[in-house]
Amino acid sequence: MAARFMLAALSVAAAVLAAAPVSGQAPKGQDKGGAAKPAAKPAAARTAPNVPSPAPHPNGKAGGVLVAMHREDLAQGFSIHETATIATVWPGMPCFNNLVIFDPFKPVESMDTVIPELAEKWSWQDNYRNLVLFLRKGVKWHDGQPFTAKDVKYTFDMVREAPDATGKLRINPRKDWYANVQSIEAPDPHTVIFHLKRPQPSLLMMLASGYSPVYPAHVNPVEFRTKCVGTGPFKLKEWRKGEFIEFEKNKDYWVPNRPHLDGIKYIIIQERGTRFAALQAGRLDISFPGEATKPIADQLKASGAKLSFTLVGTNVNDNLLMNIKKPPFDNVKVRRAISLAIDRRAYAKAVHQGGAVAGASMQPKPYGFWGLLEKDLNALPGYGKPADDKAQARKLLAEAGFSPSNPLRVEMGTRAIALYVDFASFVINELKQVGIEASLKQVETAQWHPMVTRREYQMGANLTGLGVDDPDGNFYENFACGSPRNYTDYCSEQVMQMIERQSQELDTAKRMAMVSEIQKRLEMEAARPIMGWRLDYFPMWPYVKNLVPHHNIYNYGRMQEVWLDK
Amino acid sequence: MLTLFGMSVVIFVLMRLAPGDIVDILFAAAGYVNEADKKLIMKELGIDQPIWVQYVEWLKDVFTGDLGKSYRYDQPAWDVIRPLIPVTVELAVLATLISIVLGVPAGVISAVRQDTTLDYVLRVFSLAGLSMPAFWLGMVIILALVSWAGWIPPLTYVSPRENFKIHAVQFMLPALAVGYRSSALLMRITRSSVLEVMREDYIRTARAKGQGERKVIWRHAFKNAVLPVVTVIGIEFAFLIGGLVVTETVFNLPGVARFLVQAILWRDYPIVQNLVMFIAVIVILSNLVVDLLYGWLDPRVRFAD
Repeated sequence: MAARFMLAALSVAAAVLAAAPVSGQAPKGQDKGGAAKPAAKPAAARTAPNVPSPAPHPNGKAGGVLVAMHREDLAQGFSIHETATIATVWPGMPCFNNLVIFDPFKPVESMDTVIPELAEKWSWQDNYRNLVLFLRKGVKWHDGQPFTAKDVKYTFDMVREAPDATGKLRINPRKDWYANVQSIEAPDPHTVIFHLKRPQPSLLMMLASGYSPVYPAHVNPVEFRTKCVGTGPFKLKEWRKGEFIEFEKNKDYWVPNRPHLDGIKYIIIQERGTRFAALQAGRLDISFPGEATKPIADQLKASGAKLSFTLVGTNVNDNLLMNIKKPPFDNVKVRRAISLAIDRRAYAKAVHQGGAVAGASMQPKPYGFWGLLEKDLNALPGYGKPADDKAQARKLLAEAGFSPSNPLRVEMGTRAIALYVDFASFVINELKQVGIEASLKQVETAQWHPMVTRREYQMGANLTGLGVDDPDGNFYENFACGSPRNYTDYCSEQVMQMIERQSQELDTAKRMAMVSEIQKRLEMEAARPIMGWRLDYFPMWPYVKNLVPHHNIYNYGRMQEVWLDK
Repeated sequence: MLTLFGMSVVIFVLMRLAPGDIVDILFAAAGYVNEADKKLIMKELGIDQPIWVQYVEWLKDVFTGDLGKSYRYDQPAWDVIRPLIPVTVELAVLATLISIVLGVPAGVISAVRQDTTLDYVLRVFSLAGLSMPAFWLGMVIILALVSWAGWIPPLTYVSPRENFKIHAVQFMLPALAVGYRSSALLMRITRSSVLEVMREDYIRTARAKGQGERKVIWRHAFKNAVLPVVTVIGIEFAFLIGGLVVTETVFNLPGVARFLVQAILWRDYPIVQNLVMFIAVIVILSNLVVDLLYGWLDPRVRFAD
């Protein structure tokens, strides 16, 4: 009885909201949509230094095929929900739509840049415990079937592994993103309600990520390993294994006059030198997200090719794993000593030739929204004066019982890939300066994750890409007790409580303060010391218009607005 | 047949003994491992069975014409492999032809003009070819083209039917890079073989009979010197089929060798097994062709008891 009353009340509220005028920004050609916003507005986002904000061209020229760089063949076809790699998301995004998406023209992603996609309006109810989404009408899947609320419920019940889910993913890396979802309801074909266990404004951010497309309920998820059926601006034309992935314009796309392009072709080129030679020679129009490091950008600039470069953050960080369950890393003094020993700014220069920035567990400003201020960063281990930090490291090691006559000996594992080896070698060298003897162990990729999962390592050089610049998308995945991707087994009840509190905080300013405290805490306890956040110098030819790289490689691949001025 | 059987056992066992499997790679792409899900996927793919059970199942399938399904692409292995074969075979054939056209005449000339300036030049040329890895040469060619001409060959396979000119350009460059290195080897083998034969009595006899130098070299000397050269050509061709991995990677050609390395890294057992067996068949066939050529070139082999 009570449940029926609640449902009726919600339906009435939904009907009232559907009729009420709403506000919000949307690209031309789309209906306006919006959301009830949290009480305090976030600080204005700043763009990266020395990078002009590109103005979107309102009237794109129709036609042309965009030829894009791709570095490796698809891992599990177009099954974005079954992978956690940009190699699937980047070419998969044009095929799909999300419920909401990050504004393609705004590089810094935040709650303010979330815009409608398949959901034309949404409304938070019951103090951010229920998210009601009003879906567009008249949208069709690429096979002609109508898109309805059933598809949304199907997709997210499958991802959160609801007991009554009708679909099942073979591999499910983002189940934890939706751990707070109690149930999903589809009261009519164009309304979906996410019922949450507790308030979580971040849910909208996660739904906007490139990792959160809507799947059709009438297509078995297995089929996405070989083909793609979405509602997106482009339909799959051909996937020639190891060669290219080609899309053609979806002529029945629900956004009028979109997409501008006739198609997109992702050319798979495994050899990095060949990739950028192809871009330089004009065989490719755009780069691959995160691939254009500073040395490559400098090389391309020196070649005289008239490419345009956009400096952006990637939301990908290099981090150090320490097996917290095993001595001596169960001793916080040892962990902090190791973190103190590693000069983060020198790391960015030495390993990335300046193409990385120092930061704690959230992407630093101005690339990320939640990053610590410089003054707070300077007080953390490894971010201060190197000589002072190293002296402090030696002192902590002595307190932990290590000395020149009884040095700490560790093994540093890493994937046998050049950049990881550079990372590990740098760390080993830094540790040597405080008396820690570290040896390098290179491990083939196929063995790396099983080894880390079984905790058969002491220290490890790791890379983590975050699908969304949001504390919930990061902390629960990488630092929560028992999370499968918490490779170090770091577990602090106090920090967990802090994470839970910030997740429910509706006031952005207060939440920012909480998130800052968590970041400081994680660095002080060396839970997973962050070495640096990678930058991308995304090169493309100037005739490619309306492709605005974001400070997150996973979320700007839709290509709906892109056009070619040639 | 015995060789193929032996190869099949070795490859089958070796691949499964290597640490890690396709399921590990799939979870690596997802950034985590769930042991329960891992067991389910292993069961789905049939790799939870003992190795001998898997081998028997595989043999049964092979004898019924079923080459299995790619673990990575979830498609019949033959559908994945079939488009790769013509690319690698064509590249290997072209590279071999280039190596013969460049290497054999150079070897003969070098032998006939032994210790002359021409001989030294040709020997330096061959030494350079042996010293330069084909992939490095390929990368240099690409970078030189980009820097000087602002152009590189097409990066997706263009069949001869689509556009013969582009197809020819696409294959000539990597064939030249590989063929040059092979020609260096052929040149040295040819040179030493011809030098050895030129010292034989029958060559002196041929000259004494008044035969022209060209006839002496090509009809008498070369014909007897060519047997070891043919052997090396056969070995080189067979080696190229599997050894073109870096050249195919640099020039972005979708061939067998490059795909094989990716399949090994991915532990895509059906693809690896089928490609390795294909390479084994090519090696056996090329040896057979070489043996048959011996018979054609040397009547003594034909009529031996």
